[in-house]
Amino acid sequence: MQDKSVSYAELAPGYELPSATYELSEALVSKYLRAVDGSGDGFVPPLAITACAIAAMARSLSLPPDTVAIHASQDLEFLKLVPIGATVECRIKVAQKIERGRMSMLIMELEILDRGGERVQTGKATIALPS
Amino acid sequence: MLTEIKEGMTLGPVAKHITQETINLYAEASGDCNPIHVDEAFAAKTPFGGTIAHGMLNLAYVSEMMTSAFGENWLSGGKLRAKFKESARPGDSLSVSAEVISLEKRDGVSYANCSFECRNQKGEIIVAGETTAKFAGDKE
Repeated sequence: MQDKSVSYAELAPGYELPSATYELSEALVSKYLRAVDGSGDGFVPPLAITACAIAAMARSLSLPPDTVAIHASQDLEFLKLVPIGATVECRIKVAQKIERGRMSMLIMELEILDRGGERVQTGKATIALPS
Repeated sequence: MLTEIKEGMTLGPVAKHITQETINLYAEASGDCNPIHVDEAFAAKTPFGGTIAHGMLNLAYVSEMMTSAFGENWLSGGKLRAKFKESARPGDSLSVSAEVISLEKRDGVSYANCSFECRNQKGEIIVAGETTAKFAGDKE
């Protein structure tokens, strides 16, 4: 995947983070299932795909030093079964940036597409950044 | 997978124990190695006072419960809205459960709307929210 950090100041509503592509290999899914103490059913667990998107987002954001980002809420919709071995692209953009006193909130829109360009998952993550 | 879905029925519980090893495994698998999760020295200096589990790890347990109940109808067609209320920490025992709040039929498809929560051993709510999943029903 492309790895490029974006400073917090650059983030404005509509800003798109660099897209990230993941091959959801058998090895990646096995590692995920081991981590969540889960069992497989032949498809990629939808939260494994979301986890890739959230990690891509975390890597792309260059936050002020010592900032602890808190995942405050998460909305998701799973649109399509994803077979093991599929490749997906995670697109993330800033929906809202809210400054409230000593607290900042970023609302990020997630869109995950398969190789055919069909959406497999959409969502919204709220990240709180207490200063 | 459940063969019958009714209003008021409960789903779960799914019980999990969180350890630092669990969190480290999740960090490695997901690629989210934020020090608040994996660096005990860093985390000790934050307002959390120690490492915390990824919110998405807690949500994975919710998804496991929904997959057990609804199978592929959750994996394709499922919806989730979650608020992270407290942090799960190493040593916590989590229990995830849900209740079917209502059933509805839209465009010939039956949906179950559920309310879920994930609590720790002290009864504190770690994550709570709503889910919706299709199911093979006959509610008009």
